[in-house]
Amino acid sequence: MFSKHVTKDISAYCHGELSAEESGRFAEHIISCADCRSKFDEIKFGVKLAEQLPQVEAPESLWANIRPSLGLERKISSLRLQWHTRVVAVAAVFVVIGGLGIWWLWGRGFKNKSFWEVQQLAGAPRIGSERIGKQARLGVGEWLETDASSRAQIAVGSIGTVDIDENTRVRLLETQPTEHRLELARGKMSAMIWAPPRLFFVDTPSAVAADLGCAYTLEVDDQGAGLLRVTSGWVALELKDRESFVPAGAVCETRPGVGPGTPYFEDAPATFRAALEKIDFEQDPSVRSAALDSMLNEARARDTLTLWHLLARVEGADRVRVYDKMAAFVPPPAGVTREGILELNQEMLDRWKYELELNWNRSGSVLPKVVADGYFRVKNGVSRRLKEVAPR
Amino acid sequence: MEQRALMAQQLIDGSVIEACQQGDRDAFQLLFEAYKDKVFSIAVYSIGGDRALADDVTQQIFLKLFTAIRQFRGESEFTTWLYRLVVNACLDERRRRKRWLPWGETETVAMSSSGDRKPQEKQFARLEVAEAVREAIGELKPKFRLPILLKYIEGLSYEEIATVMGCSKGTVASRLNRGHSQLAKTLSHLNNPANWGE
Repeated sequence: MFSKHVTKDISAYCHGELSAEESGRFAEHIISCADCRSKFDEIKFGVKLAEQLPQVEAPESLWANIRPSLGLERKISSLRLQWHTRVVAVAAVFVVIGGLGIWWLWGRGFKNKSFWEVQQLAGAPRIGSERIGKQARLGVGEWLETDASSRAQIAVGSIGTVDIDENTRVRLLETQPTEHRLELARGKMSAMIWAPPRLFFVDTPSAVAADLGCAYTLEVDDQGAGLLRVTSGWVALELKDRESFVPAGAVCETRPGVGPGTPYFEDAPATFRAALEKIDFEQDPSVRSAALDSMLNEARARDTLTLWHLLARVEGADRVRVYDKMAAFVPPPAGVTREGILELNQEMLDRWKYELELNWNRSGSVLPKVVADGYFRVKNGVSRRLKEVAPR
Repeated sequence: MEQRALMAQQLIDGSVIEACQQGDRDAFQLLFEAYKDKVFSIAVYSIGGDRALADDVTQQIFLKLFTAIRQFRGESEFTTWLYRLVVNACLDERRRRKRWLPWGETETVAMSSSGDRKPQEKQFARLEVAEAVREAIGELKPKFRLPILLKYIEGLSYEEIATVMGCSKGTVASRLNRGHSQLAKTLSHLNNPANWGE
């Protein structure tokens, strides 16, 4: 059954105010519901904005204005000397810490304090123009680059790890409690993330990969084209209004100027995959329509993953053909109509997708339990135990 | 300054409160140092950025605190009790003035960190965002603005905000949702990495 919308809980989710069980329901729902996901992104941006609100210093004259009014209230206290001592101690500690702080900042050249730990796995990776040793720190805005003989591993705060393969160039864009963002300019990376959904993002030249609690590899070639391969959980690929949801066992290609293609399972027939590539990236409508014939002939129940995404990417008679093929495998649930789907009613599309997902995950679970367990443990502050449950 | 306030806060315990209740001015000064910036921030954001008015309101709050602290029985957290006093004072000021001043009509606050501006473009971009956020916060209705201030300036939990505002946790969650949503819509043009110095 399609679960209740969770928009009222979004701020509480961002602030860690939900119980583990509530967070679980929230995460499962948001993967399936486009409306809630859209609202989640909006409110998460609101949270990010509100976090920029600066505290305002009270004027120095404030105490001088208040003090005379307190004079009549003053009593000699046996504790008075103690308070004087405390105030003097506070001032002294402040001076010492302030001095140490200035010294520390001077030593760091006032660099940004936000960083990720990087570990050398092979060769001599570089951060900027400097070769790193066994351990290094990648600051916001800095590039990490590997050559043909070097590899590195990044610890993404406390939410996961990213392995950087040879000949790869990545940059840390942001690391905040509500968002961690990496840019993959070229090369290949493998991410293992156990955070709640939509906390870790990777920008590529042709799409943004949004983590939904998962493990995956992402490759970008010299032309900016990408290939996402998900090994556990889910990843969303996005560019403007084009969005693809990629579950474990599926892959999705991306192209500059087009965005994410349509996801497909790696075990799909070769003719099916070849036809899909034409539908995604060919311009000629007749070529695309012919490719759709071939693809529908080869489609299996599991390939409704691809067909569901295609509904919004083909039009007219082609959309009807895609609908009929899908309905032959898994009829739409009660309340989801043929007309609604053909008009791309988002709520109906989401409800049907929820039913179809049982065919997409071999385990039959909407969200792989091992991943769900993993990231809710982290959310509850027991990240150290995660390695016990994270898939290898 | 923030570090000094933080250290002063760490020294605030039951004995400091008790000394304040006995009229010890030095203990009260410690209390003042610990909370003055937070109280002033709530006041200045609540009354539309008028720094002079916020100064008056903050003085009134601390004078009232000095008298009322004798009534504090320790049945709730001191901070919850203090912020309830602050919120009530700000709401009283609003009632007295009949309306909340729109942001920017009077001499508005200068950001505490303005003196720290560095030439880096990134730092500048962040400050520009902070300025836009302050203006947008000023445009929120009070019932959406106050939970945001208590969350982001004071760092209170939903339960603490609910106690301070005399409402349920669900209402706090709902008002924060509305506040965040409105902020995001008002400042949607900033939803671009370039605006964040990236």
